[in-house]
Parts: sequence; C-alpha cells; structure tokens
Amino acid sequence: MYIIIAGCGKIGANLVKKLSVDGHDVVVIDPNEENFAQLESGTNCLTVTGMPIDEDVLKSAGIERADALCAVTSDDNVNIMTAQIASQLYHVPHVVTRCYDPDKNEVLRQMGLCTVCPTMLTVAEIGRLLGETEEE
Amino acid sequence: MRIIIVGGGNVGYYLVKTLMAEKHRIMLIDSNRARCERVETAFGGAYVEVTHGDGTSADCLRDAGIYHAEAFIAVTGQDQNNLVSCQLAKDYFGVKRTIARVKNPKNIRVFEQLGVDSVISSTARIAGSIDSELDWADVNTLLTRKATHVRVREALVDTDSPYSGKRLSEIGLPKGMIVVCIVRDGEAVIPDGETVLTPDDNVVILGNESDLPLVISNIRGETL
Repeated sequence: MYIIIAGCGKIGANLVKKLSVDGHDVVVIDPNEENFAQLESGTNCLTVTGMPIDEDVLKSAGIERADALCAVTSDDNVNIMTAQIASQLYHVPHVVTRCYDPDKNEVLRQMGLCTVCPTMLTVAEIGRLLGETEEE
Repeated sequence: MRIIIVGGGNVGYYLVKTLMAEKHRIMLIDSNRARCERVETAFGGAYVEVTHGDGTSADCLRDAGIYHAEAFIAVTGQDQNNLVSCQLAKDYFGVKRTIARVKNPKNIRVFEQLGVDSVISSTARIAGSIDSELDWADVNTLLTRKATHVRVREALVDTDSPYSGKRLSEIGLPKGMIVVCIVRDGEAVIPDGETVLTPDDNVVILGNESDLPLVISNIRGETL
C-alpha cells in the first residue's frame, strides 16, 4: 500500500518503521524538519516538510494516489482536519486518526471517523495489569 | 440572537464589540485567560458573557450554553481549531448557522466541503479586491433577485487545465453556460466559438449555479 503518515513524533516515526519493514511505500509529513531525525537511519521512506492540513503539502505527499493515511501529530484538531481532507476530499480508502481527548474521540466516532485514543488504551491496559496483579 | 464566538483575539474582540451594539446575546470562549479577562472587562454584562476553555471540546461548548445558540462563529488564529469547533457545533449540537475564519485561503473550499456554512478569509478578500475591479458579489446579489440560479464567476486558465489550448466550441460547456468575456494581457476579449483558451486567460463565465463549480475547477486545472 501507499501510506501517508502525518506527524513524525514517537508514534509517527515508529509507525513509519513498522510499515516500511512490512513492505509498504511510506511518506511521512511533519512541519518541523528536525523531527525527521527520529527516523532510524536506513528507514525506507520519503519525507515532506509542511503542515499536513495544507492541501498543497498533502498533494506533494501524493494524497491523490494514497491507499491509507494515518493522522498522528500531537494536535488532535490537526489530526481531525487532516483525516477529513483525506477521506472526504480525496477519498483515501483507509484513514486513521489519533485523538488524545476521550470525549472528542467519542464525538468523532459518531461522526464516522476511524479513531485511536491512546489515553483510553493506556487506561484500559493499566486497569487490566492491575486486575491481573490482584488475581495473582 | 444568541451567538457563540470562539476566539477572543483581535478579530473576536471587535466582533463582540460590533455584535453587542446590535443587541445580540454573546458568549465568548477562549482558552487564554488574559484574553477572556480583556473581553470581560471591556464588554462583560447583560449582552456579553465569557467562558474560559477549549472551544473545540464538547464539554466546554455545552457549559457555554451551545444548545441555546442560533449562530456559531469560530475566529481563532488556527484553521484546524476553527474547523473542529464548527463541526461540533453543527453536527453534534445542531446549531443552524456556523461561520469560520480561515487563515489559508485554500481552506475556504475545504471548510465548505466539510460542512461549515460560511467561510471567511481576509487574505482572500484582500487578494480578490486587488485582483479584480469588479465586485462579483454585487453582480451576483443582483442576479439572485432577477434569476435565482444564475451566477457570474471568474477563473484563471491554468496550464494543467483540460480546456487549455482548446476552442470554446470544443470544450463542451454545460447547456446555458456562456463565457462572457476573456481578459487577456490586460485586454477584454469578447469570445466566440473559435476563441482558443490559453494559460493565464482570465475567464468570466455566466451559468447555472450548480454547473459552475466543475467548470471553474476545470479552468483552474484542479482535480476535485
């Protein structure tokens, strides 16, 4: 698949690594060029410097032929806007949005966006680990 | 009217000032306490209230009384925040009329397609008034009164346009649509079927409102 990753933070950089190792064509977008230093040397991907909510930046990242886009910047609202441009204006088939705020995450799901909420995943996982500890 | 305004920077500040003078009931939301206090001190009272919080959070909007709002205006300096605020207001809380400010003029089309009712870009306004002496908004207001579906638009022919290098008779404009005038090298050309469109021609076109967007984006060489 041709996959665009918006945001080259910890999650973005690790996602790039995993997806490129899995054999996908990956492009990563970040407004701050220094963030690309987080990509492991030898990672096979293209980088585009710019704000992912800017259509021109998305076009230069190849949004018109992308099979998937993952919006994983540190700003929920940037992710939401990027995801909607991808899914509704460019009809990218697979779009995943990261949203830290659990309340907003619920609203987004009701609006039909495919989301991942790291906050609730962490809470659930810690809860599960504590539960296991109790049982032992 | 009950109006919620998100963003108490300079645009928000003067918007509150203008709208309160017209006896609207305003709730201003801003995430910056200093900006909230500035508006509260200047205008706080029967017509203006202030909420300190995140205007892109459903909780905050609920606290600010969004269920009573008839209009919602997002004028922060961040396009993505203005979009999310307006979408929450419209899709989640059912506010009838949403208005957003955008900094990047290209986001006008993006916001409109993502459901915001009115989108305002001061950059585009200023660029537009420099670009053309004619104010099509006035012409269109007139046309709306005379013939409801007809509008005038103008667009610059791009090198990527499928119409570029073709005669008007070849490009297959929708029925009822005509190219009124082409401004080429500062001269107005009244075209006929044999006129060839070339890059950088400024095309003034009259036609059915529903047919115009596609033709305009073809002229501009944009892919929808």
